[in-house]
Order: sequence, then structure tokens, then C-alpha cells
Amino acid sequence: MKEILLKTEKLSKSFSNGGSMQHVLKNIDLELYKGDFTVIMGASGAGKSTLLYALSGMDTPTLGTITFGERVISDLSQDGLAVFRREHCGFVFQQIYLIDGMSVMDNVLSAGLLVSRDKKALIRRAEELFAAVGIDQETQRKFSTQISGGEAQRVGIVRALINSPEILFADEPTGALNSQTGLDVLDTLTRFNEQGQSVVMVTHDMRSARRGNRILYLKDGVILGECDLGRYAPGDTQRHKRLAAFLQDMGW
Amino acid sequence: MRKSLLIARSNMRRAKGQAVAIVVLILIAAMMLNLWLMLAMDYKANFDRYHDKLNDGHVTLAVDSDTAEFRAFLTETLEQDSRTDQFHLGSCMHMVARFDYNGGEINSEMIFLDKDAALSRSIGTVELVEEGGGSSGVYLPMLYKTGEIDLGRPIEISIGSTQVTYTVCGFFNSVMMGSHNCAMMELILTGDKYEELEALGCAPQAVLCSVRLQDKAESQVFEADLKTAVSGQFPETRAVSNSYALVTQSRYISQMICSGVISVMAFFVLLIALIVIASNIINYIQVNMKNLGALKAVGYTSRQLVGSLLTQFLGLSLAAAVAGAGLSYALFPGLNSMMIGQTGIPYALHLLPLPFALTLAMLGAAVALSVWLAARRIKKIEPITALRAGLSTHNFKRNHIPLDRTSASLDLALALKTTMSGLKHNVTVCATMLVLSLVVVFSGLMLENMIWDIEPFVNLIVGETADTCINVQTDIEDDVLAELAADSRVEKVYLYSGAKVWHVGGVELDGIICDDFAQANNQSVVFGGRFPKFDNEIAIAAKYAREQGFAVGDEIEITSNGRQTHYLITGFTQMSNYLGRECLLTRAGYERLGTLTNATYYLNLSEGTDIDGFNGEMEERFAGSINAAMNIQAIIVSMGGVYVSLMTVIVIAILVLSAVIIAFVLYLLVRTMLTQKSRDYGVMKALGFTTGQLILQTALSFMPTAIVSTALGLVVCGFIINPLMALFLSGIGVVKCTFTIPVGFTVAAGAGLVLFAFGTLCLLSLRIKKIAPRALLSGE
Repeated sequence: MKEILLKTEKLSKSFSNGGSMQHVLKNIDLELYKGDFTVIMGASGAGKSTLLYALSGMDTPTLGTITFGERVISDLSQDGLAVFRREHCGFVFQQIYLIDGMSVMDNVLSAGLLVSRDKKALIRRAEELFAAVGIDQETQRKFSTQISGGEAQRVGIVRALINSPEILFADEPTGALNSQTGLDVLDTLTRFNEQGQSVVMVTHDMRSARRGNRILYLKDGVILGECDLGRYAPGDTQRHKRLAAFLQDMGW
Repeated sequence: MRKSLLIARSNMRRAKGQAVAIVVLILIAAMMLNLWLMLAMDYKANFDRYHDKLNDGHVTLAVDSDTAEFRAFLTETLEQDSRTDQFHLGSCMHMVARFDYNGGEINSEMIFLDKDAALSRSIGTVELVEEGGGSSGVYLPMLYKTGEIDLGRPIEISIGSTQVTYTVCGFFNSVMMGSHNCAMMELILTGDKYEELEALGCAPQAVLCSVRLQDKAESQVFEADLKTAVSGQFPETRAVSNSYALVTQSRYISQMICSGVISVMAFFVLLIALIVIASNIINYIQVNMKNLGALKAVGYTSRQLVGSLLTQFLGLSLAAAVAGAGLSYALFPGLNSMMIGQTGIPYALHLLPLPFALTLAMLGAAVALSVWLAARRIKKIEPITALRAGLSTHNFKRNHIPLDRTSASLDLALALKTTMSGLKHNVTVCATMLVLSLVVVFSGLMLENMIWDIEPFVNLIVGETADTCINVQTDIEDDVLAELAADSRVEKVYLYSGAKVWHVGGVELDGIICDDFAQANNQSVVFGGRFPKFDNEIAIAAKYAREQGFAVGDEIEITSNGRQTHYLITGFTQMSNYLGRECLLTRAGYERLGTLTNATYYLNLSEGTDIDGFNGEMEERFAGSINAAMNIQAIIVSMGGVYVSLMTVIVIAILVLSAVIIAFVLYLLVRTMLTQKSRDYGVMKALGFTTGQLILQTALSFMPTAIVSTALGLVVCGFIINPLMALFLSGIGVVKCTFTIPVGFTVAAGAGLVLFAFGTLCLLSLRIKKIAPRALLSGE
């Protein structure tokens, strides 16, 4: 029996668009489980990122509830959501979004110091994470604009994991990277997931989606279907076929 | 040009908020510049217009001797002097008189004229402004029209020791004798009252002589020469006089102060506006690097791009300058109503094209220069480099305040990072806070030395104050002193008498004679040396000493009463009432030139003593031997009230203005910062920073510069404010100011300024609330 980490009930999100309402998410009931690598797929405009940002507390739903453990987060104020995010969530963005005016290490510590006052422990954890993603000490002292895109995204992952979040949200994490660096990033995410880190990733790239054990397909604001791929294993050729078949069923 | 206009219009549309803030700053600067130019170029010229309109004299002399022999002498002297253009002699009565005014008392040499005679004078006539209070009574200068002194109301005037009550029949304008600042002032009596006063005999008959000169620049020298000639021929007569130079200066002290304060503020506001404009342009270039590169790539020249910025900022600035200059016309009547209490010369506001044109030209030139200097870097932009590099907002030379090594809290550390990397913001904040520090120090100085306690300012003007003074004939001096010594209400009495002396080869000097200057209340009237102690010593006006090249230790030759003597200069003085033409002598020193016939004693009375009652008793006790008794405190209240009101309004105005300036400057900076860092703020919100934390970080990032520059500004301004005040007041003979700076107030106001800035920054940073992490969505 999997432990439920995050749960939505009748989650809806609408936007006003020139006087008319655009319903992006419609009555979504969803459970996310601890330790899963959940991938949300769908065509452009399906509502993937909107769902991700609603689940992560970056945006508030129009209707419905989101429950994290026993706590309803959809009722929280903006500041309450900020505290929720810093304590329970990590984020990896497509555009990476490291802060230009800070060094690599400062980018990571600025997130870490939001939660912990134990600077020594934080630095230790940051260095472990940097080592895990292959960022050396010299790079840690550089500014974010002085490193490559792949390095920057790996720094982004370290920043997302510095507070040991219960869920790591990734929004098209390989979208701005070339093929090889994209693979490196996916390997990193997979490795952390294997160590128990729950991951929720939005993507429209099959190669990325293959890393997930649970695939949700979103269309017109509703979850059309889901597929259990099982744990990722390199060289598993059937995995791709199963995913392709699922997506074909979904009308991909 | 058309292309530049299109770009300028597009830029303005995208940055409406910045445009509004710059417009407000330029508007304030233009308003103050135009006010200053109006005051400097026309307000004082109004005196000349009135002087010409009333065909007034350049020298006015009243001598207590209306004999045919004296008139013949005066006529001959004036006719023989080639400097004389026209003159008029008329009869009058002259005496020191006083009346209640403005909660205090006016005490001055007064000239009483018959109404018909006053209106028919060929030189120095008056202009009746209001009439209708009755057909028998007194006409007063317009300056004295208050709630208590008004048409049909009675006014009590003490003429010497005689008290008379008149009905106020009207008010008039007079240029050379229309105010207590003119050394003498005229009161016009209806025929019957003039005859009654003649019959009372309390004011001697006198000749009033008004002289127009070929060259008004010679008025002071002519006045001195004329008085020398009169005293030489008629040594027993008492004379009082003034000159064009003295009256123009003494009636326009408030104009000078206002003009000085406004000009300094105007230039500071303009400086801040220019820094803000330059900072905006540099920021615009950084943010729009790619756009500029693209424009260059499609064929726009650097000249066109710089031209578009020039068009944008010059257009805004000139529009704001026209509005600001227009606004100054709306404010001028208020300013005039404050100053007229001191000038006493009515001023009719009219369109002044030259100040207006100068305001536009100065602002236009300054803005154009600022834009050109800041926009020059556009020339260096290579299209390809700009397109590739895009936005560059940070200097990557050094990682300031590394988080793994700092002991500061996270919010403070992040704020300090922003501070350390924002040079332009720091320069703007620094310049603004330095200027506002000067405002704080100036306000403190005015509060301490004028508004809360006017004595230091009065000391600068008149040199010495006490509670009261009495002028006695020297033959009963000992009796009066014995009486005063026995009176328990008298705490201190000391000689502080005036007498005219002349510097041989120079000008007439107002001599101040004292037995022992150590007894004087104001011991700071002499600087750069010491008071004279012995009969061969003198202290002279610093301004005159500078003009003549005298130093402490030099000798000066003084003459009076036909005798000439050398004195050793022991120190320099400054009392603006004498416009840099005074000297201090011991009594023994003066007696080497002549003897005092009348002596003025200054008295300090015990707390709670009724000064008027005391003066009345003394006049009664020594009836006929006391020439005058003056309640100095009442005079300070009435005359100082004008300055106190004026300075209160100025201090309030500049403090409000400072608040407006700081708010607008900070608005521009915060807005720029939010534009530059909106993505970072979104990321930080996504990571879990609350809006409050980001507001705090933003506000805190300005604080190090604000605190350091305010502290530095307060210290530096504390040192320069007195020399700066001396510079402003140099026109009235002030060479050195030693005003006290209220440390407590200054520190509190400086802290208040920083807190105000912090509060304003927090409020302005509330826009951060609108930045949503959702904006970081990659899109579906």
C-alpha cells in the first residue's frame, strides 16, 4: 500500500480571458504517492504546468482542495504557501532561473537558509549534493552566468534538494538543454528518485517521460488516463513501447 | 527626427511611472528656479520702481533745527555739491517714538509730517493706499496695517515721554521712510493733530531733507559727507539719516534669505533630477540592450538613438518646466505676503519673461547635458554583441557577502548583496540623502537660532540685546546709575551707546561705546581677536576691514568732532543692522575724540519684571532727563515675529518638499529595481521567500547607503552650514556665523529621515506582492 503524499479533490482552475472564463483544470481528483516518479504529460495547452503549479502551491485553485498529508494547502494565504513550498517542495524549472547576482553556492544556500539556521550542516549537505551531481568547488564559487546550461540545471537540482523536500517538482527540466546535458539531468533526477525522493515532472518529451514509474496523461484539463511503467531500468526496451502504446491510446 | 520621435514615444509609453516621477522632480526644480529668479531679478527691482514712482531721495536727513540759517546752510551745501541732482527741504517734527505692533513694540526714530506737506513734497512723497478712518488722526505706513491697527481704530503712540492717542485715518506707501528698518520712519498727521503735537512740544521742530543724486551708488558716502558738514557747522543739532544703499539692503533681508534658501534648494532638486534621469537612461540601456542592438542592426544610427532619448527627456522636462514655472506664479503671492511684513513695499505680480526663459534654458541645458552624458555609451554598442549578450545587470567581478561566510541573517545578507552591486542606486541615494541632510541641518539651525529662540539671530542683526535700555543725558548719568544700582529689579546695567565716527579716508562708522565690553550680554559679537579694552583700541566691522585690507594689530585713523586719533584694531565685529560699517570703542577711547552728551544704558531685569512699568517709572522719576526708554524684548517680539513667521514657513516648506523629493527618488529607484529583478523575485517566491521578506530585503538594500550618507551629510553639513549661512548673509555685513546646531534635533531628524526613507521604501516595495511565481511557468 503506497503512502499518499498529496491529494486533490475536484481541483479546478479557471482564468479570465477577455471577459470569458477559460477552464484549464476541471474537477481533477488525484493522489500522488511517496517515492514515485510521477510524470505529467499532455499536449500544449492541456494544463500540465497549471496542474504542477497548483499542486506545488505556487498557484491557488479556483475550486477544489489540495491536501498535503493531513494539511489542506489550497486554503493557505500566499505567505502560508511560501512557507509550505520552502519546507516541503523543491523546484526545477525549464529556464533554470538561477539568480544572476549570486554565486552557485549562494544560489543554493539562499534556499537552504530559509529553512535551516545550521549553516555548517547546510554547507555540508550542499557539498554532498554538488558532489552527487558533479559540480566541483571551483564551479561552486562561479556566478550562474559563468557556467554551462547543463551545470546550471544540475545546480538547480541541488537548490531544489537542499532542504530535503518531500516532493521535487520539475517543469520541463530538459527543455532548455541539449541532448547530452538533458540526459545527464534526467540521470540525476532518476538517481535521487531511486534514493527515495518523490518527483513530479511535467514534460512532453517521451525520452524524459520514460524515467517515470507513473505516467498521467492530461487533456483539456482532465486526467484522461494513467500508466504504470514500473521502476526505470536502463536498457529496458519494452518500457518505451509500453509508453508509446499508452500515449497512442490517449491520442498523443 | 521622425524615427527618433517614434522611439521616444514608445519609450514613454512603456515607462509611464518613471516619466511621471521625473516630471514631478523637474516641475519642483523649475518652480523653485523660477521663484528664485523672480525674487533675484525683479522683487528687489520693485524697490527701484517704487522709488522712481514716488520720486524719492537717495539720501534723507532729518535735523532738529528748523531755522532759516540752517535751511540756508543746507541749501547752499546741497547746491554746491556736484553729486546733487534735486533736493527738497520741508518742515517736520522728529523724536524717538513707539507704539504696539505685532504683539510687541515698534520703537524708532519717527518723523511726523503734516498731511498736506507730505503729499506735496516734490521728492519723497507718499502714496495714500487706504483712507476713510476719519478726518482727524494719523496715517501710518501700509506695513503696519494689522488686525489691531486698522482704519478708524485708535492707536497709542509714545513720543518721548508723552503719550498721545490718534485715530487711524489711513495708510500709505513710503519708500525711504516706510518701515522701522529704514533708520527712521514717517507718520503723517492731519493738520489739526500736527498742530496739537506742535503745541505739546514733545517732539522738536526739524528740517526734513530729501536729496536725489546724479549717481545713487554714492548715497552712503554722500550721506556721511552731508552729516559731517551739518555736525561740523551745527554741532549741537541732532540728526538722523538714511541712504538708498542702507534702505535697499535693510528692507530686503527677508528677500535675501528666501532667495538664498530657494536657490540652494532649486539647484539641489535639479541635481537630484539630473542624477535620476542619468540613472534611468543607464538602466534603460542595460534593460534594452537587445532592442538597441536590434535597432542598430536594422540601420538606426547612434545619433538617432541618443536623439530619441534627448527628445523624450527634453520634451518631458520642458513641459514640466513650463508647468513648474507657471506654478511658481501661483505660489509667489504667498511668498510675497510673508516677505512684505519685512519689506513693506507692495509688489504687484506680473509676467516676467526673462526669469521664465532663463528657467527653461537652464533646465533644458542641464537635462540635455545629463542625457547626452548618460546616453553616450549607446555609441559603443555593437549590434551583434548586444543581441548576443542582452541584459547585463550585474558586475561579476566579485561575489559580495558570500552566504557561506557571512554571519548576517539571510534577509540582511541578501539585501547587502543588492546594495553592493547597485552602484547607480547608491550614487542616487547618496546624493539625495546628502542634500536632505543639509535641509535637516539648516532646519535645525533655524529652529534653534530663530524659531525657538530668536536671540542668536537678533544678536547677528543688532549685535546686543538686553531687557530694556534707557537713553539719558550725561549730566544726570550718575544719579540714574545710583538709582538703578539701588533697584532690586535691575540685575545688570552697562553703557552701550552709539555715536557716529568717521574713518579718515574711508566712510562713516557707527560707533558703539561701552565702559567695559566684558559686561555685554553677547560676547560673540567680536571674532578674530577681542573686544577693545584700552582707550587706544578699537574693533571694526569685519566686512569693512576686508574691504580696506585691515588686519588685527593694524592701526586705523578715526575722526569725530574735529579731532583725529589712531586706534589699534583688536578684533572684528559683525552686526548686520550696520551693514558692515560699525566699530566698537571703550568710553575712554571715544573720549579721545569727544564727549558723550547722551548715554544709552542696557539693563538686564530680574525675571518677571514688568518692563514697560519699569520704563514708565524711570521716565517719571527722571522726567526731562531721560530721552527714551525702550522695551527691547517687546521690539524683538514685534520685529522678530516677521522673521520667525517667514522662517517657520520656509522650514515647513523645505521639509515637506524634502519628503516629496525623497519619495519620488525612491519610487524611481524601487520601480527600476523591481523591473530589473522581477524574475529574481519570482524565483525567490517560488523557493519560499514570503512577500514580507522580499519587501524587507528591498528596503534594507537601500539602508546602508542611506544611513552612511545621512550620517556623513549631517557631519559635513554641521561643519559647512555656518560658513554657508555667512555666505548667504554676506550682503548684510555678516562674515562669520556661529549659530548653534542642535545636536539632539539633528540626530533625531537624521534618524527620522532614514526611517522615513525606510517606511517609504517598504510602501513602494508593496508592488512585490503582485509578482507571482506563476509567471515562471514555461507555458503549456
